[in-house]
Amino acid sequence: MTVNLSVATSSDGAGLRASPVLLRPFARLSRVGWSLGSVIGGFALWEIASRFLIANKLFLAAPSQIVMAIVALFERGQLMRHIAASASEFVLGYLAASVAGILIGILLANSTVAKQVLQPWISGLYATPTIALAPLFILWLGIGISSKVVMVVTLVVFPVIINTEAGLRTTPNELVEMVRCFGASRRQVFLRVALPSALPFIFAGLKLGIGRGLIGVVVAELFGSRAGVGQIISQAADAFNMPQLFAGVIILAVAGVGLTAAFGWLEGRLLHWKD
Amino acid sequence: MVEVVPKLVVDGLTKRFASTEALSRIDTEVKAGEFISIVGPSGCGKTTFLRIVSGLEQATTGEIRLDGAAVTRPGSDRGFVFQQDNLLPWLTIMDNAMIGPEIGGFASPERRRATQALLKLVGLEGFERHYPRQLSGGMRQRVNLARALAIDPEILLMDEPFSALDAQTREIMQTELLRIWEEGRKTVLFVTHQIDEAVFLSDRVFVFARRPGRLQEIIDIDLPRPRPLSIKRTPAFIALVDRIWTLIEHEVRASVMEELA
Ligand SMILES: Nc1ncnc2c1ncn2[C@@H]1O[C@H](COP(=O)(O)OP(=O)(O)O)[C@@H](O)[C@H]1O
Ligand SMILES: [Mg+2]
Repeated sequence: MTVNLSVATSSDGAGLRASPVLLRPFARLSRVGWSLGSVIGGFALWEIASRFLIANKLFLAAPSQIVMAIVALFERGQLMRHIAASASEFVLGYLAASVAGILIGILLANSTVAKQVLQPWISGLYATPTIALAPLFILWLGIGISSKVVMVVTLVVFPVIINTEAGLRTTPNELVEMVRCFGASRRQVFLRVALPSALPFIFAGLKLGIGRGLIGVVVAELFGSRAGVGQIISQAADAFNMPQLFAGVIILAVAGVGLTAAFGWLEGRLLHWKD
Repeated sequence: MVEVVPKLVVDGLTKRFASTEALSRIDTEVKAGEFISIVGPSGCGKTTFLRIVSGLEQATTGEIRLDGAAVTRPGSDRGFVFQQDNLLPWLTIMDNAMIGPEIGGFASPERRRATQALLKLVGLEGFERHYPRQLSGGMRQRVNLARALAIDPEILLMDEPFSALDAQTREIMQTELLRIWEEGRKTVLFVTHQIDEAVFLSDRVFVFARRPGRLQEIIDIDLPRPRPLSIKRTPAFIALVDRIWTLIEHEVRASVMEELA
C-alpha cells in the first residue's frame, strides 16, 4: 500500500502561518501615521508654547531655535568634534563592557564557585546608581577620555553579565539532552545549544546597556571634560544659552533612538528564528 | 542453520533512582531488523529503558550490548526520536537534520545529500530552508525522525514520538514509519502507550509492568506485512490488542487511581 504523501503534508501544512496579507499595508500605514502625527504635533505644540506662552528665554527654547543652535555649532566646526569625543568614549566603553560582560556571564553560568563569590557584588552594584561615582572617576582618572570609558563600562557591564548568565542558565534541558544523545561534548553543548539559546537574553542586556552607556558618557562629561555632548550642555547651562542646551539634549535623544533602532535591526537579522 | 546473532542484548539490567526501582532485572534479546514496541502503564520505566540503551543514563547493574559491545555512552550507532521534537529553533530544517553528523564530525557533502534524501523520504522536500517555527507539529516530528536517521544508526530508539499529534496525523505517521522502516529495515525500539499502535507496527510487543518496572511478557505479532491501515479492523488484530490490554489493564487502572489520589 502506498500512502498519499501530499494529503499528509497539506493537512499538517495548515500550520504554516496565514495572515491577512491584504490588510497589512493599511494597518502599517495608519500605525506609522499616528506616531508621525504625534511627534510632529508635539514639536508644533512645543514651538507654540515657547514662542507665545513662555516668554522667558531662560526657561525654554523653541525647536526652531534649537535647530539653529545645532547648525551654528556645526558651522563653527564644534559639533563634529564634540560628537566624535562622546562617540569614541561610548563605543570604547560599550564594547569593553559587552565583551567583559558576556565573558563574566559565561563564567558565572559555568562555575558555581565563581557565581557564589561574585553574585553579591554584581547584584549589589547593578542595583546601586553607580552614576554617582562619576565625580570620583574624574578625580582618579582626570577629565580625559578614560574616566568616561570607565563610567560607561561600570554602567553597561552589569546588565550584560546578569542577562548572559540568566540566558545560559535557562537553556532548555531537553535541547541539551538532544545534542548529548548525538555524542556532543561539553564544548559542543555550549556552542551549539547554550550560547544560541541565550542570545535573545544577551541582546536584551546589550540593549539595556545602550541607554545606560549614553547616560554614563554625558553625566561624566558634565562633571568635567575637554569635549563632548555633555560639555556642550554644561557650557550652555553656564552661559544660560537655552537653545544650545537643548541642542545637546536633542543630539543625545537622536543618538539613543538611532542606536536602539540599529540594534533592533541587528536583532531582527540575528534572531529572525524567534517568533 | 546458522544461529542469528542478536543485535541488542539486555543482560540483567537494573536501574535504581534513590529509593525507586525503575527497572528490575531485564533480560532479553532483539534481532537485527526487528521492530519492537514497548507498552506499559506510566511510570513502568519505558523511558528509562530507552535512555539506558541510548547511553544517556547508566544502568545500576547489568548491561546493554549492541553488536556485542557494551553500551556506556551515547554514540552514532543509536538514533533517538524524542517525544518532543526538540528541534533547535535557530537552525533550518536541513541543519537540524544534520546536527548528528555535524556533532560527530562526519558531515560530508555525501552525508548532506543523504540527509536531503531522508527529508524527502519523510515528506519534507522543499522545506529544507524553513525554520522549525514555520512547521506544524506533524512536520516537526518528521524532522525529528529524519534527524535520527541521518546518522544512519544501527538501532532507532523512539519514545512516544507520535503522542503529541492528533489522531489523523498519527495514523498517517504510523504508515509512513512502516514504509520508511521497510526500506531500511533498521532495528527499532518504539515506546507507545497506544496498544493498537504497538500491534500495528511491531514484530513483537514488550509488555512492561510496574513496581518494580520489569518486562512482564513478550507478545509475537504474527500479522502479515506490508500492513495497510485497514488491518486494524481485522479480528486477528483486535484479538491481539485485547490480549495486551487484558495484560496491563489492572496496572493501568492502578496507576490512574494513584495519579488521582
Ligand atoms: N531522573 C530520575 N530521577 C528519579 N526518578 C526517576 C528519574 N527518571 C525516572 N524516574 C522514576 O523512574 C520510574 C520510571 O520512569 P519512566 O522511565 O519515565 O517511566 P515511563 O516512561 O514508563 O512512564 C518512575 O517512577 C519515575 O518517577
Ligand atoms: Mg515515558
